Amino acid sequence: MCFKNLPIDFDANGKATLRDGVADPYAITAAKPKGYVRRQEGPGAQLAAPPKLRDWSIDPVTRVAGALAVHTTLDLENRKAVDAYSRAMLFRGYEIILQGRDPRDAIDISSRACGVCGGVHATVASLNIEQAFGVCPPPLGLAVRNLGEVGEMFYDHPLHLGLLAGPDYSTSLVSVTNPELVKRAEKTPAPGYEVHGFRTIKDIMDAMNPLTGKIYLESLEYTRIGRVMCMLMYGKYPHPSTLVPGGLSTTITTSSFNEYYTQLGKIFDYTKVMIATWDDIADFFLEANPAYEEVGKRPINLIQTGIWDDTDVYDATYANCNEWGNRRWAKPGIIIDGKLVTTNLTDINMGYEEFVDHSFYDDWTRSGSQRFATDPNGNPISPYNPWNKETIPRPTATNFKEKYTWDTAPRWDRKTVETGTYGRMWTTALAGQTPENPFLEATGDGLRMVLPRHHLPETEVFWKVPRSINALERNRARAYAMAFTSTIGMNCLLKAFEYWRRGETKVSTPFKVPKDERVSVGFWEASRGFLVHHLHMDKGKLLNYQITTPSTLNAAPRDPFGGMGPYEEAVVGTPILESVSDDEVKGIDILRAIRSFDPCMPCTTHMDTGKGTIVREVNSCGCTLE
Amino acid sequence: MSEGRGARGQRTRREPLRASGGTPAESSKSAHAGPMARSAGTQPAADELGAWKAELTPGLGTVDLIDGYDPYDPFSPIGIRSQVLEEPDDTLQIGPLKKIYLIWMVGASCDGCTVAVSGGTHPRVEHLLAGIIPGLPRVELIHTVVSTESGPEWVHNLFMAERGELDAPYVITWEGSIMDESVAGDGYWMGLGDDPQTGRQITSLEWLDRLAPGAAAVIAIGTCATWGGIPASKGNVTNAMGTMDYLGKDYRSAFGVPVVNVPGCAPIGDNYLETAAATLLFLNGLGPLPEFDELGRPAWLFGETVHRHCPRAGYYEEGVFAEEYGDHECLVELGCWGPVVQCNIAERGQIDGHGGCMNMGGICIGCTMPGFPDKFSPIYEVPPGSYLSSNTSRVAGGFIRRMRNISRIDKNMTPRWDKDTPSGWARSRTGPKGALKQVHKFYAKYQHSHESYN
Repeated sequence: MCFKNLPIDFDANGKATLRDGVADPYAITAAKPKGYVRRQEGPGAQLAAPPKLRDWSIDPVTRVAGALAVHTTLDLENRKAVDAYSRAMLFRGYEIILQGRDPRDAIDISSRACGVCGGVHATVASLNIEQAFGVCPPPLGLAVRNLGEVGEMFYDHPLHLGLLAGPDYSTSLVSVTNPELVKRAEKTPAPGYEVHGFRTIKDIMDAMNPLTGKIYLESLEYTRIGRVMCMLMYGKYPHPSTLVPGGLSTTITTSSFNEYYTQLGKIFDYTKVMIATWDDIADFFLEANPAYEEVGKRPINLIQTGIWDDTDVYDATYANCNEWGNRRWAKPGIIIDGKLVTTNLTDINMGYEEFVDHSFYDDWTRSGSQRFATDPNGNPISPYNPWNKETIPRPTATNFKEKYTWDTAPRWDRKTVETGTYGRMWTTALAGQTPENPFLEATGDGLRMVLPRHHLPETEVFWKVPRSINALERNRARAYAMAFTSTIGMNCLLKAFEYWRRGETKVSTPFKVPKDERVSVGFWEASRGFLVHHLHMDKGKLLNYQITTPSTLNAAPRDPFGGMGPYEEAVVGTPILESVSDDEVKGIDILRAIRSFDPCMPCTTHMDTGKGTIVREVNSCGCTLE
Repeated sequence: MSEGRGARGQRTRREPLRASGGTPAESSKSAHAGPMARSAGTQPAADELGAWKAELTPGLGTVDLIDGYDPYDPFSPIGIRSQVLEEPDDTLQIGPLKKIYLIWMVGASCDGCTVAVSGGTHPRVEHLLAGIIPGLPRVELIHTVVSTESGPEWVHNLFMAERGELDAPYVITWEGSIMDESVAGDGYWMGLGDDPQTGRQITSLEWLDRLAPGAAAVIAIGTCATWGGIPASKGNVTNAMGTMDYLGKDYRSAFGVPVVNVPGCAPIGDNYLETAAATLLFLNGLGPLPEFDELGRPAWLFGETVHRHCPRAGYYEEGVFAEEYGDHECLVELGCWGPVVQCNIAERGQIDGHGGCMNMGGICIGCTMPGFPDKFSPIYEVPPGSYLSSNTSRVAGGFIRRMRNISRIDKNMTPRWDKDTPSGWARSRTGPKGALKQVHKFYAKYQHSHESYN
């Protein structure tokens, strides 16, 4: 079945059990962290020419959300990065602050763990609480929640493409690191001219210049449009004001929908332009130098929890979570080596573990016994599952062999997994099941999407699952993600209209705070992917509340088995493709690799880079660490 | 050389790229080496690069080197500040201040304040940074989310500010709570940059210690930075607190200003931008000194309770209250704290007039107040005191509402519609009937009794 490392078997009915005869199924065989080792002793150490190694500490990594630092070692002889450490630099203690509070407060407090993606935290907390309380929002409430989250994504995608990652491909930066590319770009006509209006690739790169470029400024304006769409459903952004237990408190009127769908047309046009733009940029770089495929490349191991519920199927229960999970517009799933191994949320939860061997926390498994051996459905869970986790901060001096980050090391089936916007497109494409609709079709090898006309004509686009996962493909997929999101938004809007026509206008279900013991989990996705909140409550108070964010996964440090985190894997092996002398290397390819993940560290991590020394580098999201 | 004014008074300019710092190749070798700089470097293709530099950056003005860094030099380590921006060369100068640095620092922050400000529209942040608002100096922003430089180059900005080497005053905006690094043992709660000499980890709090004395002003943005917020609430392990708590009552900036506080979680972006713009106008001798209340809040923004401008306050007045989430009436009985919370989101909206808490149906959870969140929680529980006031209003407002309805029905009739409306939408007679009709007759007589044509 889907587990290769954890001793979990499934019987004929698909029920999971721990394999018989394994004494300690979750035992850890610690291994020394893999890192690049200089030849310091032994035969040949003195004879061989010392490799031109340079330590480089990037603290802070900028143009990412939150505090991230990365320490890398560059091999200037072979022109590539050979080592990396990802560091989350901030701890605030949200999980501890949530303990002992009224569970309803988790919506507003966990939202404030991350101001870059506050809507998704409030939403996943709502899902979590409704599962614990046993209430399900009415269909229009679910539809409105879907629409609010579509809006939130349209603030986040332009932010990433235009303001954070985009400038790395702009004339003002590339002219410093690779002047020959700018020259080439000037002579290269842009294939997407008809759509985006830029005649040459150089024109596109000019438009990506920070603070002055057309794409940069337009993207900033579109983040505002996305936020307005989100606010029409969620009241306020960041930190929504109308998400409540049992649904929403938004007063939905004809005007809410009117103001929403009149923005959608603009979004469709902007999406067409951004896809054409990023196709041109990515193709240009890959053609100019195929080695760009190696920048930020790592194995295709992805984990996603899915987002945008089927409003007819979702029932807020853990018992049926595989059923409603599989009916989401963006599918949950695990991809290992490019193959979709499961789409069940219970499998995702069963295989999910968090390790703190290289983080500034104490290992909770050493104190006391495991709280839960199984999930509410009877599936085995690890002592390292968030339901069993306890947050015990222990700030200490940074040591790359020991502890060096505030981020934890989440793994699935003990493998390093990455998550992202592209990840949910990947799982959706491979799962190949989309409901009958005019706008979006998953074909098994990609996503076919039809964007309705606005100023620009109706446009069909196809996102083909890339053959490798690297910085340029992550960014290109982010542009296609806007088509994915807006076509889902259109479907959800039509669904909301349907309920509205039928007079089903309620958006919340009354509830009572239960006084008995409850455990629950919210599965949702941030713009950058995987987002899970685990809850344990009793007597109307929270006993444990655990937040796992996409950047918790992506910015993760090394695990006890010696494996690296996703940023670390992506940086190691990234070639230095700058056409300048060793002394002028700016490390832009390293930064491109990191930024392509869209790190969001407000609650996660932070990395440091020091001048002239290679240091470890970490990316995370403000929502990763806690 | 400048070509002077064009035919329509607009200046077109073609100045040489640089007038100081030697030739491009020389300067790139000496002062502008990147983070990987080592002395033994070669300079391949330097000529080619030089030619490119001139070609790629037409129209950049002449600027002086600051500590070896030239913000307009594309050869500087990546993206030293906003290297692509043109220094304006207006002869028409409104006010003495041409430029100001904004150093945006974070503590226990979620970046929500940054996000809120980036959504602001009055003024738009990109307009402030481009320096295109007449009368306001250009704002040069040093912020990890926005800056193009990374790592040591970014931190270098802070060292320059500390040493007084920036060519304009700087303002600090602090986002997020202050965390007590003295309880972080050998580690840190929030690290930001290394010391280039020793490699020592610097904390973000240390930067506040180093930079606050020389700052033109310290503006705390958001409820964490102003009062402490969520990181400082019950369960606080980092001993988090607000900026005033840390800097103390006696703190004054280099310009003599105590900490300015713009609270909210997240704050309305325009509240911050407007406060900043008003302060800059004052510094430029154009506007009055903005008024701040005794907690350092902009008085014109936080002087009123949010309830007074709430679009649902009329329901409160008439004693009508929402019973379920999603209802359109006053939210006080669902747990809204609006009547006692100082905030302006009801009239301003969240972004460009859109959104807002009660405007859209969300209760006020008191996020602008020093007591947030503990004094407002459990958040969805109704505060007992609100029943006293809402029931009072239910009695008095209920009477007023009925009286108003009587008048409203009459005012929905034209003089011509004595008995019935001609509307096909109406099911039956809509005008006042029976005794009410007589009441209206007398009332109308009384209403118009003083008018001369009677």
